[in-house]
Amino acid sequence: MAFLELQNLVKSYGRVQALRDVSLQLAPGAIGLVGNNGAGKSTLLKVLLGLLRPDAGQGTILGLDIWNDSSEIRGLVGYMPEITATVPMLKGAEFVTLSGDLYGMPHTDARRRAHEVLNYVGLGELRYRRLDEYSTGNLQRLKLAAALVHDPQLLLLDEPTNGLDPNGRAAMLRTIQDLIAETGKSVILCTHLLGDVERICQQVVVLHQGTVILSGEMAELKQKAASRFDITWDGDGGAYVAALQRAGTSVTPIVHRAAISNGTLSGYTNGDGTFDFAKINAAQVTVGEDWTTSTFFQLAQDHGVVLRRLRPVEENLQDLFLRVTANKQDGLPPRPSL
Amino acid sequence: MASPAQQTTGGIDLARYHGWKGKLRNRWAGCFAMVRVCLLQVIRRKLYWLVLALGVSVFLIYWSLIYALAQLNLPEFSDAILAEFQFNVNPTPGVESGFVQFMNQQSVVVMLLLALSGSQLVGADFRLKTLTFYLSRRIDRGQYIVGKLLAISTLIATMTVLPALLLFFEYGAFTTGREYWLANWQVIPAVLGYGAVMCFTLSLMLTTISAYLQKMAPIAITWACLFVLLKTIAVEVARETREPSWLLLDLWADILFAGRVFFGVFPEREDGLIVGMNHGIAAWAILTIVCTVCMFLLVRRVRAVDVVE
Repeated sequence: MAFLELQNLVKSYGRVQALRDVSLQLAPGAIGLVGNNGAGKSTLLKVLLGLLRPDAGQGTILGLDIWNDSSEIRGLVGYMPEITATVPMLKGAEFVTLSGDLYGMPHTDARRRAHEVLNYVGLGELRYRRLDEYSTGNLQRLKLAAALVHDPQLLLLDEPTNGLDPNGRAAMLRTIQDLIAETGKSVILCTHLLGDVERICQQVVVLHQGTVILSGEMAELKQKAASRFDITWDGDGGAYVAALQRAGTSVTPIVHRAAISNGTLSGYTNGDGTFDFAKINAAQVTVGEDWTTSTFFQLAQDHGVVLRRLRPVEENLQDLFLRVTANKQDGLPPRPSL
Repeated sequence: MASPAQQTTGGIDLARYHGWKGKLRNRWAGCFAMVRVCLLQVIRRKLYWLVLALGVSVFLIYWSLIYALAQLNLPEFSDAILAEFQFNVNPTPGVESGFVQFMNQQSVVVMLLLALSGSQLVGADFRLKTLTFYLSRRIDRGQYIVGKLLAISTLIATMTVLPALLLFFEYGAFTTGREYWLANWQVIPAVLGYGAVMCFTLSLMLTTISAYLQKMAPIAITWACLFVLLKTIAVEVARETREPSWLLLDLWADILFAGRVFFGVFPEREDGLIVGMNHGIAAWAILTIVCTVCMFLLVRRVRAVDVVE
């Protein structure tokens, strides 16, 4: 069941379109919202929270309308903003208690919960210190505690590891991971650090220039992304490669770096500059969605070559992101600007 | 069997996450949390202690004088001092109530406190983007504005309305009969009415100015221009032209005139300018316009779109 459903969402700031026709359907779980700076990630989070009214389109989150039920949504969602956004002169426990009060918790409950969540995020010892004495890492943890205080069903985390050193980043990610594992809460992690998303999230949404260019289960996307194979063969590969190309694949030869001389591959090319696959025995093959690996073997048998190695090229989220955003670079119309 | 962590923390496992199953209250309850936090912010800053001490000192002087007047056998001394302070506990017809004078004197301290605290109570929300924090909780901008107005109003009322009522009850407590209460019961609604005008007008103006200017220096300068410079100009123009309506240019005086409507007394001025009930009504009209403009500007400023980076 989709806990977040958006249909043709549009949001503009003046003439700049921050979100363009965003449609999404996501199941509960840990979701990574990734994109370059200015892709529209923070705008999307604010639209989900009802802080910004979309110009067009509609959507529901946890079964509630994102604009008409925004107050109820904020009661069920914990938001950790990217910016520091603290109240001067307050102590850690007071700040988190205030957060609980503003969410609508009874004051005594808010105060008790503040101590609990501060302990949980590792700020138990610092809860009576003033906020201006907190380090960047501690402020990030404090914001997480403030988002958790009312025990929300969904957490919106906007750049939770921003400005943290490696140890702080690892600790923050561990806390979020533990939280998901212990409570089963859904998390939308908005970041441009793809490693964080890869480590935590099962689903990913890629935003590019205000448009969703990729969304779905991380494993499934990687599976789809595994459309490239490294192959090695024995025998005359010319006919075999030609057959692969006729079958709709794209074949890129793999040659040893030492073969490159003066920027050319003279020993491996024909007179017309094309590759001579009779002299090459390795290539990377990009296949279509309906391709099956058995076709490699079938074609090899048909053309008298022995397939020595067939290995799918593993693609991490960064490769995937770079590939899909590069593909879309030319596909999208330029964003209108002032 | 309890784990070591559980044993050391009295049975609560602090390392694990615990849910909360309570029921959320009405969103307006968040306004009171804002009031509490704003008062905490003021109390924690030592700079404000000086101003608060000044306000408390004035109150204690009046308290002591009323005590001396009622309990000690020093009527001439007390009367002379109270007259010096223009504090008439039992005013004769046409003479202004001492409580109006007291609240007006306290408003000097309040003005000083507001000029200094506006940047922290409201300006910081915009300067440090804390508005994101507030509006991303369950409250919306209506509740945010009401919360801030209530917080500043509480600060003003603590310095003016509350001590004025305390002085009223103090004097009454020292009397033996019911005459004092029967003769002066109107003082209570009048003090509350004047206090309400002062609280609403000043809190709305401060919140609006602080939302736009954000830092202490520009807020204090603007505040001084509005309430000191305008006062000076208004008084000088009124004296030169002998036209008391010019006094309405002074917003501080407008608040006083609007407050005097509740007491029904417009005493003679030292400069001979005659201010009457018609000026009180005009002051109400001016304050209504000023508050409407402030509210319009404030609502425009506290918009979610401003949260966006």
